[in-house]
Amino acid sequence: MRRSWMWRVITGAIVVLGLGDVPEASAIKLGMAGPLTGDQGAIGQQLKNGTIIAVEEWNAKGGVLGRKIEIVWGDDQHDPKQAVAVANKFLNEGVSGVIGHFNSSCSIPASTIYHEGKVVQITPGSTNPQLTERGLWNVFRTIGRDDQQGVVAADFIAKKLKKSKVAVLHDKTTYGQGLADESVKALEKAKIKPVYYAGITQGDKDYRPVLTALKQKSPEVLFYGGIYPEAILLTKQMRELGMKTVFVSGDGVWQKEYIDIAGKDAEGAYVTFTPDQAKIKEAQGFIKKHKEKFGEDVGAYTVYSYVAANILLDAIAATKSTDGPKLADHIRKTKWNTALGPIQFDKKGDVLVSPFVVWEVKDGKFVEVK
Amino acid sequence: MLLQQLINGLTLGSVYALIALGYTMVYGIIELINFAHGEIYMLGAYMGIITFGLLTTLHLTSPTSGATLLIMMVMAMLFCSACGVTIERLAYRPLRGASRLSPLISALGVSIFLQNFVMLAQGPRDRGFPHLFAGEGIDLFGSRISAIQIFIMATSVLMMVALQLLVHRTKIGKAMRATAQDMQMASLVGIDVDRVISATFLIGSALAGVAGVMVGMYYGLINFFIGYIAGIKAFTAAVLGGIGNIPGAMLGGLLLGLIEALGAGYISSEYKDVFAFAILVVVLIFRPSGLLGKDISRRV
Repeated sequence: MRRSWMWRVITGAIVVLGLGDVPEASAIKLGMAGPLTGDQGAIGQQLKNGTIIAVEEWNAKGGVLGRKIEIVWGDDQHDPKQAVAVANKFLNEGVSGVIGHFNSSCSIPASTIYHEGKVVQITPGSTNPQLTERGLWNVFRTIGRDDQQGVVAADFIAKKLKKSKVAVLHDKTTYGQGLADESVKALEKAKIKPVYYAGITQGDKDYRPVLTALKQKSPEVLFYGGIYPEAILLTKQMRELGMKTVFVSGDGVWQKEYIDIAGKDAEGAYVTFTPDQAKIKEAQGFIKKHKEKFGEDVGAYTVYSYVAANILLDAIAATKSTDGPKLADHIRKTKWNTALGPIQFDKKGDVLVSPFVVWEVKDGKFVEVK
Repeated sequence: MLLQQLINGLTLGSVYALIALGYTMVYGIIELINFAHGEIYMLGAYMGIITFGLLTTLHLTSPTSGATLLIMMVMAMLFCSACGVTIERLAYRPLRGASRLSPLISALGVSIFLQNFVMLAQGPRDRGFPHLFAGEGIDLFGSRISAIQIFIMATSVLMMVALQLLVHRTKIGKAMRATAQDMQMASLVGIDVDRVISATFLIGSALAGVAGVMVGMYYGLINFFIGYIAGIKAFTAAVLGGIGNIPGAMLGGLLLGLIEALGAGYISSEYKDVFAFAILVVVLIFRPSGLLGKDISRRV
């Protein structure tokens, strides 16, 4: 008696579990990965919003290949270990392509898994050169590279600011240290040797000790390779210690939150980023739609994720296939007209033209430096 | 530079000490490592921001008013004490007779619950803390002590002195010491042990709440995850000083802060946590019960 009762429960459980596993044959799945929660959650939200709008537009037109499109979310919390778990989850779910990840330290390990699973990955935010330098056919990015960005920052420090005492800090991540090293390389070409170079720990809250040590070298400029949460603390604590050092950083700091939270301490900081999106005429339709739907302006990476999603879906539609290598081939040889203007990818998967410019924080806003 | 690093280290250390006190008091009495204690500190920081928001909407605040700050800290203390006592009541008291592992797991559960609750209720993004201290400070031999650093150190010292007086000069303090020595014996001589334990959680949580508001202001940035790292650091401080020992927690906190600041300033900021934990390991090798801990011979 007892046994038959148990068997019934077990069979029931198997049936129920099995039901959950039946794939919806009708939907095409896209993976969207990034730091959706956690201290970099603001960036995750931008990536999310861009993807949502792209997919909604396509679904309104009837989806792709006559099938609806569904987004599978992957929250990597800017942790490489989580990123690998997310990548494996995406493969199990059978996604046709991935938009993400954001942090280079996540994109790089995840790209290997997508490569093995023959899935195309387009990142809207990872700028570390290593991502595309390893000869993986499936990796693309809609943003530029740190070796381009570092040169712009170094040039600006040497020629525009005309400063030669530069201190360099980074957050020890693939992105942060990579960007810092590229800038140091470019600075050394301009005969500037950093007076101080050190890494800090992401997630710490007190950087006064390292800033105090740095202050002894009386640098005129502090270049920071990292993302905005630490940049906010560095900027505030530097001013609190009475340092007048100019703060210069990269695209990871080009965030509204940086100015909102660092307040007046952020004034006069310089950040390298791509040119003003308000001036790209192809982007205006999207920017307006975003404002209507979410009630706020686009963030730094919103357009990049929107473009990445559109390229993926366009490629699926054009090749009438969800086969990774076919999609990659098509993406590589097509001249894309996107919300960021015309885009073309090189052999490695980098965009051919990607200008970085310098922005200044002025009166609580990022202003492009002429 | 040395003076500046000492100031940085002492400020950080006094915060660690405040949180470590909560760990050590609870451990001293019920031998539970209360992993949810870091989360209480995080709740304190959030309560500070919420109070500030309330005061602002009621137009009861001016940006640099000391009263605003005082109200924020008092609210955080009240809220955190209430949380601490409730947590003890719901998550630990029912497990009083169980094996030592059960309340520990319960504590981890409370910690995860609180983190996620705050993430959902307050959002996953960083929140900026209001600037209640302008950038002024005192310049001293080429170093700068900011107003907030002075405030943090002074408040911490005040809190610790008050705690010492409470433990050694009051009736409830006497009851706490008795319960820490032998819970069963204490209850036999008529001490309401449950009440003493509640009081312990109340005091520890109030200290963590104050620490939360002060640190929020010091760093200007909080999120739902700050309790985790602060909790680990404070726990380390408590172990370093000898867990269960109140002066030990204070000493451990200050030492940990100093080691981190000096390590980051003079050797390498990349390895500052390595120094802190290396020193912990060395201390534990030579003094397994911590710097001020007594060698307690376990009852057989």
